[in-house]
Amino acid sequence: MEWLNRLMALDRRWIFLLVAIGTALPIIFPIGFKVSVTPPAKALFDRIEQMGPDDVVLLSFDYGPSTAPENDPMADAVLRHCFSKRVKVVLLSLFPIGGVTMADQSLARVLRDFPDIRRGIDYAHLGYKSGSQATMKQMGEDIHRVFPTDRYGMALSEVPLLQRVRTYDDMKLVVSFATGIIGEWWANLINAQFHIPVAVGCTAVSAPKYYAYLQSGQMVGLLGGLKGASEYERLVIDRYPIVEAAYTRAGLYTAIKGMDAQTIIHTLILLFIIMANVAFFAGRGRAAQAKR
Amino acid sequence: MRFLRLQLPLLLTALAGLIPISAFFISENATRVVWMKDRLEKYMIIIASFAILLGVVNVVQSNIRKIERRQKGWPYGAFLLAGLLGMAFCGIMGAARIGPFQGIGYTPDGGRTPFQYGAEFMFSPLQATMFSLLAFFMASAAFRAFRARNVEATILLVAAGLVMLGRIPFGEMILGGHPFLARLTDWMMDWPNAAAQRGIMIGAALGAASLSLRVIVGIERSFLGVEKSE
Repeated sequence: MEWLNRLMALDRRWIFLLVAIGTALPIIFPIGFKVSVTPPAKALFDRIEQMGPDDVVLLSFDYGPSTAPENDPMADAVLRHCFSKRVKVVLLSLFPIGGVTMADQSLARVLRDFPDIRRGIDYAHLGYKSGSQATMKQMGEDIHRVFPTDRYGMALSEVPLLQRVRTYDDMKLVVSFATGIIGEWWANLINAQFHIPVAVGCTAVSAPKYYAYLQSGQMVGLLGGLKGASEYERLVIDRYPIVEAAYTRAGLYTAIKGMDAQTIIHTLILLFIIMANVAFFAGRGRAAQAKR
Repeated sequence: MRFLRLQLPLLLTALAGLIPISAFFISENATRVVWMKDRLEKYMIIIASFAILLGVVNVVQSNIRKIERRQKGWPYGAFLLAGLLGMAFCGIMGAARIGPFQGIGYTPDGGRTPFQYGAEFMFSPLQATMFSLLAFFMASAAFRAFRARNVEATILLVAAGLVMLGRIPFGEMILGGHPFLARLTDWMMDWPNAAAQRGIMIGAALGAASLSLRVIVGIERSFLGVEKSE
């Protein structure tokens, strides 16, 4: 059983190499695995689909560069959906470590495909504010007092879209793209106290905890990790063929492309686990035999 | 002295805790309480900003100490301080709009300010790189530690395997396109997972509520740096 000993003592650098190859190859040569849609993503899509050009959605960028590969595609997809339907969007960030940069970059990426969308009329960008929970609660009283100026230094009273948006009552939905606990606060604090529907786009690792909020009705939709983002991309592309051109643009990172890499890596990790357990049980069997 | 060190902070803590709770339950017509609650929420936003400053001071102090004592990895500490001071310099100069430092975001013509340049082309890729390394360690850890050693570990292993397969298209492919694994994963997330998560959340909320109550009534005083008996 020489092979068993060698397998158990496998240098972890071989594992690192396989993970690197498994990630890089599908990104360089996309496979195009089929993406199936789950109910939590469809629920958020349907919620925005029911809105019209007079409705306002608040998008909160509560993540930083560390989780951008998961959160960026979902933020882009929801923004593209809103702009396709001409639903008005208010952006902000409550995450201190790069949140506002994520909002800037997402907006810049999406606006390339929507040249007729106008700042201040179709969307407004509030920028970053510290104080998370307190800021969120104060926004329920008066957004203009919490954010005296927008991201570009303009007084909120001079931004046409924000002249009619002062509290959560003037909006139809909050979507938080979150990496930490801020997404939970939107659900358990703002939905509970101000009754505005909340949806969260989170990293895969934090998705399980949001199912409790989803089931209790405190959230109306959930995009869990890269899978959730790819589902939303699929829904938007299928409903708005005009958006498909943006998603097929060379060099653009999308969740659908990222799912190829995730599929390979999940499979690889499962194989590692199976191999290690086979070796573990075979080793235990040998040890038991030797004892007898 | 005892008043300043103990009684006044305890009184302030009790008021800061009781006012928002009272305002939540009483009528909005009680304008004085609602006004005080609004004030406290504003103060919280300001205090949160100072908490960031406190963190910066702490990082600077601990790294200066590390460099002075030439502790293991001190060059990393020096690099960290250089980055922190460099970004702070660009940020402060940008906020004051001095020379080429015109703001901390984008310039009116869409160009990047030095602070934005640092955030976008240094900070963002570095943070993304740090997080990306997790994938390698997770794969290695799964190989080395994820063993079906007992019943609990086996249940965890099987559940994890099913969810990992159910969340990728490969799960459907091995069943000839049938979405059984995806549906099973949805069921596992909707029921056993949500039930367990709810239990954890309720437990944590009860713990937080009881700890808050202890702080408000002055039983828990460790945050003041004093013992209960004082």
